[in-house]
Amino acid sequence: MTAAAPIAGSTPARSHGIGALLAGRRESAPALVILVVLLIVDLWLNRAWMLPDSWGTIIGLAGPTMAAAIASMPAIMAGRGGIDVSIGPLMGFINIILVKVLAGDLGIDQPWVLVPVALAIGALVGLLNGLLSAVLRIQPIVATLGTYLVLSGVTLSLLPAPEGAAPAWLKTLAGPYSIVPLAGMAAIWLLAKRLTVYDWLMACGSDDRACFTAGVPVTGVRVFAYTLGGLFAGAGGLLLSALLGSADPNVGPTFTLVAISGVALGGVSLAGGRGGFAAAALGAAVIFLLQSTLTYFNVSSFLLHTLYGVILVASVSLNALTGRIAGGSR
Amino acid sequence: MNVLSGLGANTRRTLGAIAMALVLLLLGSLAIEGFGAPFAIRSMLVLATFIAVASIGQTLVVLLGGIDLSIPFVIGFANVVAASLYGDGMAFWLVCFVVALLSMAIGALNGALSSFLRIHPLIVTLGVGTTVQGIVLMWTGGLPTGSAPAYLSEFVSIGGTIGPLPVPWVVPCFAVMAIFVHVMLARTPFGRQVYALGSNPTAAPLALIDPHRIVIVSYALSALFAALAGILLLGFTGSAYGDVGQPYLFQTIAAVVIGGTALVGGRGSLVGTIAGSAVLIELNTFLIGLGLAPSTVQAALGIVILALVSIYGREAHVRTLI
Repeated sequence: MTAAAPIAGSTPARSHGIGALLAGRRESAPALVILVVLLIVDLWLNRAWMLPDSWGTIIGLAGPTMAAAIASMPAIMAGRGGIDVSIGPLMGFINIILVKVLAGDLGIDQPWVLVPVALAIGALVGLLNGLLSAVLRIQPIVATLGTYLVLSGVTLSLLPAPEGAAPAWLKTLAGPYSIVPLAGMAAIWLLAKRLTVYDWLMACGSDDRACFTAGVPVTGVRVFAYTLGGLFAGAGGLLLSALLGSADPNVGPTFTLVAISGVALGGVSLAGGRGGFAAAALGAAVIFLLQSTLTYFNVSSFLLHTLYGVILVASVSLNALTGRIAGGSR
Repeated sequence: MNVLSGLGANTRRTLGAIAMALVLLLLGSLAIEGFGAPFAIRSMLVLATFIAVASIGQTLVVLLGGIDLSIPFVIGFANVVAASLYGDGMAFWLVCFVVALLSMAIGALNGALSSFLRIHPLIVTLGVGTTVQGIVLMWTGGLPTGSAPAYLSEFVSIGGTIGPLPVPWVVPCFAVMAIFVHVMLARTPFGRQVYALGSNPTAAPLALIDPHRIVIVSYALSALFAALAGILLLGFTGSAYGDVGQPYLFQTIAAVVIGGTALVGGRGSLVGTIAGSAVLIELNTFLIGLGLAPSTVQAALGIVILALVSIYGREAHVRTLI
């Protein structure tokens, strides 16, 4: 609490809400500092970013990365090795279904069909992951690796190379209305936080054995976590389709590692029980800003890749060190 | 079975993986013409050897309850560095020595960060691996480079022979190496300490096991075996490519899990992992033999891995952990 509060207080404009949400999350402090620095650098380099008109586009660019990180967060928070590596391919699969199959082949492109379909596919695959890892008790990384392979394989079978065009309304989700899916996800998370299952989720992540003895339905809570992650991935699929503006079978899987890095950067404990929506979004935002800053300097994508690894290691190391100095609550 | 008896509870899972490999071989030979032909078996043996070499290190760190996502990047690193140094005229034994040292340094960094700072190895190895990959890409510009000595290509060639034996040298050499590593795990203090630390990280230090030393050495060994796989792949493909290791990220994990090693640590064996590597290659060959497209093979492989692991790789229910 004491460590995060002054840092959150010194944050300008945009992260006002994030600062409030982060109160008491020491683990997120390094990411928040990096975010503020990068934001200042980016605003200074690129004055156009200050115009409210461009905010939609910027958020649209960051949208898929943020959604992927947020979607990866619930499974990780559920603890005991919980992780969903299929989030990236799931977003890619939804992209293909929406743009290629529904809009392209079947000519169905109305928002009231595509949006529910995207969310339903996401939630169903999430539910499947939950059943595989919590009920069937396959180790989560293997269970979701299985769905990773299935989803990316099916995606490539449906569409071997990029093609098609997203409906015009969908493309506005990468422009003026890009905040809508993210706001929807935040609303779902805030709703979930009011439910008992949220407390159970945090408790299971910290100590599932104690939870079980206390009568918490541990298995059900884990299934819920994966399903919620899948639902978020559904929104991520919408954002990805909007940003791409077409159907591309190769993009989805690349989001998996970025998402997990973002989650870790943002201060979500990979051991479970710590973190949340704001932390995951924060970590993903840092990665996005890092990419855009380095791209501005025309840094080669290879150096970008290197720095991205260095910053990931450095930030989690710093996190662990500050935790140790602060007396460590682990 | 003598060697296995020390592992007790692991034996059943290991035998399960071996049985799976044999059943698949039988099924494949019955269902697909040419699956059981000598040449097909030879190529499967060689390809399975590559996976098995890369998976030795993964087995070690998984036994500790960790995971090493840097394996594909270290494979690419070793592949590119070895080809470049050899292309610059350095003696090949010296090349191997340098690559081994550098790789072990990468692995030791993985182990040190995750052990001393108590960061989840998933994220450490991912971060370190990404850094290594970035450096390799910057160095090579993302293009294939360098060359391999002819005897290395001969060493791993599918068509290679040892006198009357129709297998390349890499297969028996791997068998000998696997026996050494197995004995190290099953019989030496280091191996037993790996199992002890993986089964109970809290109790092991009380038994005077230095957790940092074990973790650092294991991750360094993991990187060493990954580097070995990278050098072998250099001989197989003839020139180096930074992304050559990519398929091995999930394949090493799949081989370990199919082999019956639990990702929570402390349970499993190298023999199982080797059988798991064979199962993976057999499945792949089987599915391609059925005439499926590579993308469909990938999807089917996902389903089969899920099915196999749900048969014998399930975790304990939380009620049994209390």
